[in-house]
Amino acid sequence: MQIKEPVQRWQLLFEGDWATSVVFLGGSRRIAAGNKLGEIFVWELPENPPGQSKAEKKDSEPPDFAPVRRLDGHTNGISQLRASSDGKTLISAGLDHTIRIWDVDASASGTEIVVVDQKNRERKARSKSSEEKEKILNAPGTQVETVAATHILKGHNGWIFSLGISADGKRLISGDDSSLSIVWDLTTKKEISRWRGHNHTWVRSAALSPDGKTAFTGEYGGKRDNFDIPAAQASLWNCEDGSLKLDLLKLWTPKVKDEARTDSYSYLTVWVKLLGRGLVCASFSPDGKILAVGQGGEGGGKIHLVDVESGKILRTLVGHRLGACDVTFSSDNQYVLSSGRDTTVRIWQVADGKEVAVLTKPLGAKYKDWMHSVAVSPNQEMVAAADIAGLVHVWQLKS
Amino acid sequence: MKTLCTPLEHVNRRLLLKGALTTAAGGALMNWGGLFNSDAMAKEVKKQGKHCILIWLQGGCSQFETFDMKVGRPTGGPFREISTNVAGARVCELMPGIAQKMDKLTVIRSMRTSQVDHGGGTYSMHTGWTRTPAVRFPEIGAIVAKYCGDVESNLPSFIKIGSGGGGAGLLGPQYDSFALDRDGGLPRNSASRFPAEQELRRHRLRNFVENQFAQDRSAEPIRVHQEAYDRARRLNNVRDRFELDAEWAKSRNNYGNSKIGRRMMTAARLVEAGVAFVEVRHTDYDFHGDNFEGHKALVPPMEHAWAALLEDLEARGLLDDTLVVWMGEIGRTPKINNRCGRDHYVRSWSTALAGGGVKGGLVYGESDKDGVDVKENKVTEGDLFATIYTALGVDPKTENFAGVRPIPLAQFGHRVVKDILI
Amino acid sequence: MTPILSLRVVQRLEVGHRCDFYTNSRLFRRRKLGALAMINRPFLLAVVAVCLIQSTSPGAEALRDTIHRHVDEAWKKNNVTPAPLTSDSEFVRRVYLDLLGVIPSYEEAVAFLDDAGSDKREKLVETLLADPRFGVHQSDVWDMVYFGRNPPGYGTNKRDGFKNWLRDQFNQNISYKKWAGDILRAEGNTVEQGVPMFFVQYKNAHEDATQAITQQFLGVQLQCARCHDHPFDKWSQLDFYGMAAFVARLQVVDVGKKKLTTFAIGEKNLGDVLFTGPASQQEVGQKGEPVKPKFLGGELLVEPELPKDVKDPRNFPSGKMPPKPKFSRKDQLAKWITSSNNPYFARAVANRIWGQFMGKGIVDPVDNLSGDNPASHPELLEAMTKSLVEHDFDLKWLIQEIVNSKPYQLASLGTVEDTNPGWFERARFRPLSAEELLESWVLATGYDDVLEASGKKPKSRFDVGAPWVYMKKYFGSPNDGVGNFQGGMHEHFYLNNGEIHQLISEGKGGLFEVLSKSEKPWEKRVEQLYLSVLSRHPNPKETKHFAEHLRAEGDLRNRLKEAIWALMTCSEFRFNH
Repeated sequence: MQIKEPVQRWQLLFEGDWATSVVFLGGSRRIAAGNKLGEIFVWELPENPPGQSKAEKKDSEPPDFAPVRRLDGHTNGISQLRASSDGKTLISAGLDHTIRIWDVDASASGTEIVVVDQKNRERKARSKSSEEKEKILNAPGTQVETVAATHILKGHNGWIFSLGISADGKRLISGDDSSLSIVWDLTTKKEISRWRGHNHTWVRSAALSPDGKTAFTGEYGGKRDNFDIPAAQASLWNCEDGSLKLDLLKLWTPKVKDEARTDSYSYLTVWVKLLGRGLVCASFSPDGKILAVGQGGEGGGKIHLVDVESGKILRTLVGHRLGACDVTFSSDNQYVLSSGRDTTVRIWQVADGKEVAVLTKPLGAKYKDWMHSVAVSPNQEMVAAADIAGLVHVWQLKS
Repeated sequence: MKTLCTPLEHVNRRLLLKGALTTAAGGALMNWGGLFNSDAMAKEVKKQGKHCILIWLQGGCSQFETFDMKVGRPTGGPFREISTNVAGARVCELMPGIAQKMDKLTVIRSMRTSQVDHGGGTYSMHTGWTRTPAVRFPEIGAIVAKYCGDVESNLPSFIKIGSGGGGAGLLGPQYDSFALDRDGGLPRNSASRFPAEQELRRHRLRNFVENQFAQDRSAEPIRVHQEAYDRARRLNNVRDRFELDAEWAKSRNNYGNSKIGRRMMTAARLVEAGVAFVEVRHTDYDFHGDNFEGHKALVPPMEHAWAALLEDLEARGLLDDTLVVWMGEIGRTPKINNRCGRDHYVRSWSTALAGGGVKGGLVYGESDKDGVDVKENKVTEGDLFATIYTALGVDPKTENFAGVRPIPLAQFGHRVVKDILI
Repeated sequence: MTPILSLRVVQRLEVGHRCDFYTNSRLFRRRKLGALAMINRPFLLAVVAVCLIQSTSPGAEALRDTIHRHVDEAWKKNNVTPAPLTSDSEFVRRVYLDLLGVIPSYEEAVAFLDDAGSDKREKLVETLLADPRFGVHQSDVWDMVYFGRNPPGYGTNKRDGFKNWLRDQFNQNISYKKWAGDILRAEGNTVEQGVPMFFVQYKNAHEDATQAITQQFLGVQLQCARCHDHPFDKWSQLDFYGMAAFVARLQVVDVGKKKLTTFAIGEKNLGDVLFTGPASQQEVGQKGEPVKPKFLGGELLVEPELPKDVKDPRNFPSGKMPPKPKFSRKDQLAKWITSSNNPYFARAVANRIWGQFMGKGIVDPVDNLSGDNPASHPELLEAMTKSLVEHDFDLKWLIQEIVNSKPYQLASLGTVEDTNPGWFERARFRPLSAEELLESWVLATGYDDVLEASGKKPKSRFDVGAPWVYMKKYFGSPNDGVGNFQGGMHEHFYLNNGEIHQLISEGKGGLFEVLSKSEKPWEKRVEQLYLSVLSRHPNPKETKHFAEHLRAEGDLRNRLKEAIWALMTCSEFRFNH
């Protein structure tokens, strides 16, 4: 992956407040993003913004472009999106307890006119005369094709927080708020195995190794009571039978006696150093050797690079001022990209942990909201991030 | 010549009436465990009048995540509603236990109070008044202790579990709370440091000294001082009332295996033992960030325990004489901020009452479609407290004094919400 | 002026105002007073005239004798039998506590009790008034008046500057007229000068400041008149806001440069109260005039016309002393309040000082000198007030006279149950303050000697034997809203099981060590114990009982501690009587 003076090419608007997840679909110009209402939109971006040559006027707002499809079905917010490497299959998980599988190119079930930039219109109309206000607010919306899911996977009874997919797109892992994780066979759409983690924790992050045989889950439970905080967890599992392969937290805290691991007061100070407010994002490197996991919440958002074989922490990437939200690898195994609550997207070198780029200014400045999700295009030229103000930002890494 | 009768004589006579055992040395041993289940005991409790349990939600529980759902609105959030055992009433999916107890509850969704910060809100939602330097307003527990408490009882009339601050203010320190810590541990210094024999020996020496002084003197403070000493000492007789491990083992499944569950069970047992007022605190609902995950973590154990509390009180025949108040100091904003949280809000929020004196199965008052304002039937602090006192059989206009200034129990201009009272 | 005032008081008594909140006995007493006054009106006038003449002529009656005379007259009129004069031991303890805020040490008690001089009581009072602890204790007492236990306002909890300044006023015997004025003028900053701390409590709360000032300096309760015309007193909302206007321009300014929180009080050139008159007098559509400053019961303040271009910043900038205004309303208020002609100022403080030492004011409550609240001994109050003014508000002198008077020196014996008997026929009972308790316990047990011998020092004056926060909470305000003493449970947790036992230390130099190491017979040691803790000799029964307790078989260590503990926690110690 080459990085040289990255520049933002697009700022895609879509209402629904919190954009929660974004993925590239096969190429660098096809993007899907989901929001807290449960809507998933698909964009097909042109090479250049209409009426503009490459990298013109850096200081004005990057242009918007309308989506072409809307994937309907979820009745509550989307928590995660994953796509097959050919970009033809999209998988979404939501707070409505379901996982839906979409054929991205399926024929539309209908069309609809939608307004995806309502807030933007209101902002523009504010200082205008009432005549112009009307014009702006009542401008026509975008026509999108609506598509329904091909399959719905039911097996969870609570919010599905996390989703992971194997490299060949054949296996899926999902984790929910009752500490239940399920590994699915995507060809047969059936469960392979399931297991429960600790009581009172939620599976905040889940990822599959590229070969689909090993799973990682990060669990965190939030405060149940005064000092009744269950310890966050980090574990590696065998996908075939759901057995525990490595208790990473135990490995990382060898000095703590087993009995003390339930003493939520003293143990808390130990695991918080490593896991922050829980590991909320996880990703295996494409070669399956390294696992990247990120701390969430409002403490610092450290990213650990873990050696998958031994379970040891190789190095820790320190930079996010608040918690991390999402983490992913570049396809050449060289870089880790992370997005966080401090409104930044950061790019790090895997080899030495050095931070080589920050795609936005931290907190304040132009970007005021969490960067909730980050994705890299398969050709490693474009990076997309979805923020909780309802925007999808797309950068070109080499200008 | 005046001699103070020894407090031991008082205690023994009373205990004999209650059917307790005495040791050879004259100290008393209450067989409380057995008495819990006797009809005689239960009747005694009923005769003593009203009780009140305050479930205090520190930090401000969100009305949008409990009783005032705005599903589908921009202010709504990701939780969905479930139906309850009251037709037409719906609550948040986080409260399945309470959903089946709605027939016992009066939910007030139109709270409109004045203090938006924690300090001010905690004060005004404990006293029913806004803080002013000129007057030390008493908190609700002190008031209930004074007007509903049993002076003869060895147990304090006002107990707090895991909650601090407040104070009896102008009612005087006699009505201050007996504060258990959040694990039900007894207050600082309430346990005798000495073995019983030694304690009795020094008690006798002290009595001698007091009798010498009181021989030729009649001033009231001497008597007050002695009575307070006795009252504090009598607590040694009932310390085991607070050892509830065995009770917890029996009740844990009902209340849920959580600390708040245990605290609520403790409150139920104390009310059963005759305590007039118990406050149970659950903390901390102040979710300026990650509000939904926060409520997801805190509400289920709380509501499970609350439902179990109502069940328990009813099963023991205590619910008709016990008012269970559920509230915090503030509500939360309809707008969700960019920390995925809600901030403080007092223009429109919710509280709930159940038990003695109030109708069940009632949802009182309404907020507008986004929960920004009260639509009708607003209830202020003064209104709420006046209603609570009335439910407990205490006239909210009753006056106490700060210097020369008469201070009624509830704020001037209060309105008793008669619609929710039986 | 005085005879006319008395007449008016008498007239009101005759009419007998509605006073729902008084207890029946008080009502009865008032009616009785009124009836008697009717019978004796001419006599009363004559007495008053005589008083007037006597107090201004040379060789005049000493105030202490005037006090005795009036109180005695009232006893006779009301058929009240006073208690006998107090014993030396009760006297020495009482006067040490009232003047210095701590019991006498063993040596001090013995010295006084053994003194055979006939004027030893007078000499003792003189010595104590010159003791530097006098100022410290009076500073504690007045600090409670001005701030209470939980003063409002940010930064008011640490007020050493104020308290040290107040201590110096008493020890240097500065006239009350001067130092009360200093508080109201609030010059300087809270660390070096201390006085501005009074107003720091009332940041952005001018009405609260008004209530406090009128109550504490003038003995007038205006708070009801804040929201409506007073229900039974003569004050109206206009009166309240007329006074509030004097302090409406004040602002608390943070002038601290380093870590130390330091405040000063700034006064703007412009600004008025947000009140234009009661609702009933408002005219529709008219913007009313804000109420201008008006002296309570007196004239409007005459203010100079300010130049048109006078401006104020919205907030005085922090970090530096605020400029003085062109015309200061607060200074005018200070001047009027502390003037010898002010009809409330002298009377209020005379009554307050009387109440401090006699248990209740001649007008009760001590800060409610309302026309509707009668004085129990009206002529006495007038005489005291007049004398105080003549002595230029010398509080030390007034205290000296009161403490040397016969009524102050009555015993606490008898069948009267009132905590503070209304005819002062028995010594009053008052609970020791948290400060007095702690200092007296430390002195009695010799704990400070123990600490010194072991090389330790307490973190601050009161962080001894329990966190001060805890002591203040449970011993700090042991009264209900009308001042009745109530023992809280928590007080006794501390007394029975708390860190008080730390004070009964076995360490070197402590009372325990002295008594256990002594070779004297137990009877002698019991005597030393009583003198150390209760400042008196034990009676024979007590000596016998305690000696038996200490002689008994086994566990002497605990028995001796129990003996000390019993005397430290009993009523005799807990109260000043």
